[in-house]
Amino acid sequence: MKRKRSVVTSSPRVRDPYLGPLRLGLRRPRTRPQAAASGSPAASSGWPGAVSGESGLPAASEADARTGGRAVPAARPEIVDLSVDLAPRRPGRLVLQNPVMVASGTFGYGIEYGEVVDVERLGAICCKGTTLKPRLGNPPPRVTETPAGMLNSIGLQNPGVDAVIERYAPLWAGWQVPVIVNVAGESIDDYAGVVRKLDGVPGVAGIELNISCPNVGRGGLQFAVDRDAAAAVTAAVREATDLPLLVKLSPNVTDIRPIAQAIEAAGADALTAINTLSGIAIDRRTRKPLLGNVYGGLSGPAIRPVALRIVYEVAQAVDIPVVAIGGVSSLEDALDYFAAGAVAVQVGTAIFADPEVPLRIVDELRAYCAERGLASHLPLVGTALPARPNRPSSKGVEYRP
Amino acid sequence: MRLLDAELVETREILPRQWLQRYRAPWLAAGARAGQFVHVRTPDYSGLVLRRPFSINTVDRVASEITLHFRTAGKGTELLAHARPGDTVPMLGPLGRPFEVDPRTHHVLLIAGGLGIAGLRALIDESLAAGRQVTVLFGAASAGDVYPSSLLPDEVEYVVATEDGSLGQAGLVTDLVPAYEAWADQAFACGPRPMLAALAALARGRQARMGVARLGRKRGGGKPVPLGSPQARRRSWLQVSLEQHMGCAVGACLGCVVWGIEGPVRVCREGPVFAAEEIAWEESV
Ligand SMILES: Cc1cc2nc3c(=O)[nH]c(=O)nc-3n(C[C@H](O)[C@H](O)[C@H](O)COP(=O)(O)OP(=O)(O)OC[C@H]3O[C@@H](n4cnc5c(N)ncnc54)[C@H](O)[C@@H]3O)c2cc1C
Ligand SMILES: Cc1cc2nc3c(=O)[nH]c(=O)nc-3n(C[C@H](O)[C@H](O)[C@H](O)COP(=O)(O)O)c2cc1C
Ligand code: FES
Repeated sequence: MKRKRSVVTSSPRVRDPYLGPLRLGLRRPRTRPQAAASGSPAASSGWPGAVSGESGLPAASEADARTGGRAVPAARPEIVDLSVDLAPRRPGRLVLQNPVMVASGTFGYGIEYGEVVDVERLGAICCKGTTLKPRLGNPPPRVTETPAGMLNSIGLQNPGVDAVIERYAPLWAGWQVPVIVNVAGESIDDYAGVVRKLDGVPGVAGIELNISCPNVGRGGLQFAVDRDAAAAVTAAVREATDLPLLVKLSPNVTDIRPIAQAIEAAGADALTAINTLSGIAIDRRTRKPLLGNVYGGLSGPAIRPVALRIVYEVAQAVDIPVVAIGGVSSLEDALDYFAAGAVAVQVGTAIFADPEVPLRIVDELRAYCAERGLASHLPLVGTALPARPNRPSSKGVEYRP
Repeated sequence: MRLLDAELVETREILPRQWLQRYRAPWLAAGARAGQFVHVRTPDYSGLVLRRPFSINTVDRVASEITLHFRTAGKGTELLAHARPGDTVPMLGPLGRPFEVDPRTHHVLLIAGGLGIAGLRALIDESLAAGRQVTVLFGAASAGDVYPSSLLPDEVEYVVATEDGSLGQAGLVTDLVPAYEAWADQAFACGPRPMLAALAALARGRQARMGVARLGRKRGGGKPVPLGSPQARRRSWLQVSLEQHMGCAVGACLGCVVWGIEGPVRVCREGPVFAAEEIAWEESV
């Protein structure tokens, strides 16, 4: 059932050929934490205002506050403010200049693509997964193309947190763009240990927990698939640092919502979704597993519908910001994710084919908003979410194998 | 390294399913060195999400052109083979580290297994231009796969081995090498991994066999140089160009590693050219 809307706003009513009447503001199923609503202007610009009661619609005054109380003339991209706060609970600590990030593992430490990408214009950089000790990674081959996607089994090769701090953090400290360190481990102590070392290091803007790692303490069961372990590792890291904390969800679970809620309750500032889907490939010549590690993670356009579904479910289950990852390769893909409730996106695999994709999305998003008289992309967020708070995604459940 | 659109000037099938394509690409022609490669984007991103790596086959600085030589091996190369003159093909390059020739080297031995010639072809031109003598040992399964000698400069000595004996010497190209190991100041190889591994084993024994003859030349002597450095390659008798499946081709994803003697090395960044002694050949890949 379509809900009747009654938006009161001083902005002109803009119609979008795809979206229908524009919805000014994200409808949230639950009330937002107070801290964010009273945050700094920069911080609150990261979130489309607190919801007004149960209706889930922003009050006019809040919409006005966001646009500076003025209608935005079309076709003036410069004044579109694409900034977004990924940690509204820590106002001003992780405000991105735009909602397009680069995904962990696909952009190294931000320097490798330096000759061809103006990294300072990115929303944020998530660096390669970092562990307490150096890791050599999995045996090759480690990547292979699959229909509309690729499998990778890098095995978290990285020089260890100390080397990352020594080699890269000083560089990052001189950059405008926030660098978020992606952290991996095999035990809660591992994670907390890495994060304790990163805490307070200039150049480290935040933490993204990669919990799609085997938990040695629980017989190798991934943290990400175990609600209690996911919450415990989040809580331990929350203890260890005051840095903005993003937790990255795995799609390889039966129901993501309780896991997302447990992570939120344990103190995460935002959720990122999704990590790769587990898969394998067979070498057509030898009829043996192609990847040295047998198993790999599927990424690219092939996983987009799955990631959309998960973002859609998570955005309804939690109040903290959700960042979408999975096959983003164009503005249209980013808009899909905004509609499904994400406030920002990460671009991964698409960078390999075209390193210019992330910045092109930024420019096109700015133009898109300007054309439609939007002061920000945030009104585009959540337009696809159902009206009733917390309505279970019945279709998703029915079709889940 | 730069993102660029190369314009296809000429394309022809030089051997069954093997294409030689000439591209106008001033940036690559101006800066590329033998051994480097380009990462080529296919026109079908929605289906093929990865670029394809190809060696820079030849470089013509005057005409601002480069050539690629490839075999159709799957969807990506199939699409590339269908490109027509005038089409633009997005490329990223030049990438990777080049071959390093010692300034004192006079005799250059190139050992190519099949398509491996594409990885060495530019080094022929560079070596001749520097006044060096070049011998190319080429191995293929049979006469139909043998690189046409008409595509090589006249100054090159070209020796062929075919596995079925249909052209040149019967057997493997590696069998030809011992006859040249004393003559060659340096050797450069590109081809299937087993061929390169056999050559690396040969090169290891060479030091002992040549010991007396090489006294006084001081090559490889002097102070130690860091592993993976251009100097290390320059001092090495055998340099190899390796292949590995790639993601980014700029060193960011760690997808293209092979096992070096001190752990994983990236073919796109530390390679594709390595000194033979830098590679852990006993590992299968
Ligand atoms: C540094 C380097 C230089 C190369 N130079 C040449 C050259 O000059 N001429 C030439 O014919 N070939 C060359 N190759 C191999 C060439 O990249 C593959 O033949 C090509 O990628 C096959 O693509 P495809 O879509 O036709 O095959 P598919 O089998 O459909 O490809 C599927 C996936 O596997 C990858 N792949 C398949 N074979 C290889 C391979 N041997 N090496 C790396 N990736 C592979 C593809 O890139 C793609 O991601 C080179 C490889 C490397 C790493
Ligand atoms: C080569 C490669 C390496 C990756 N490494 C990591 C990693 O270290 N940590 C992590 O959390 N995710 C890693 N990922 C997952 C990506 O960050 C991203 O979640 C996933 O690829 C889906 O997005 P995409 O379809 O845009 O690539 C990696 C992905 C690829 C392709
Ligand atoms: S292909 Fe990404 S590191 Fe070499």
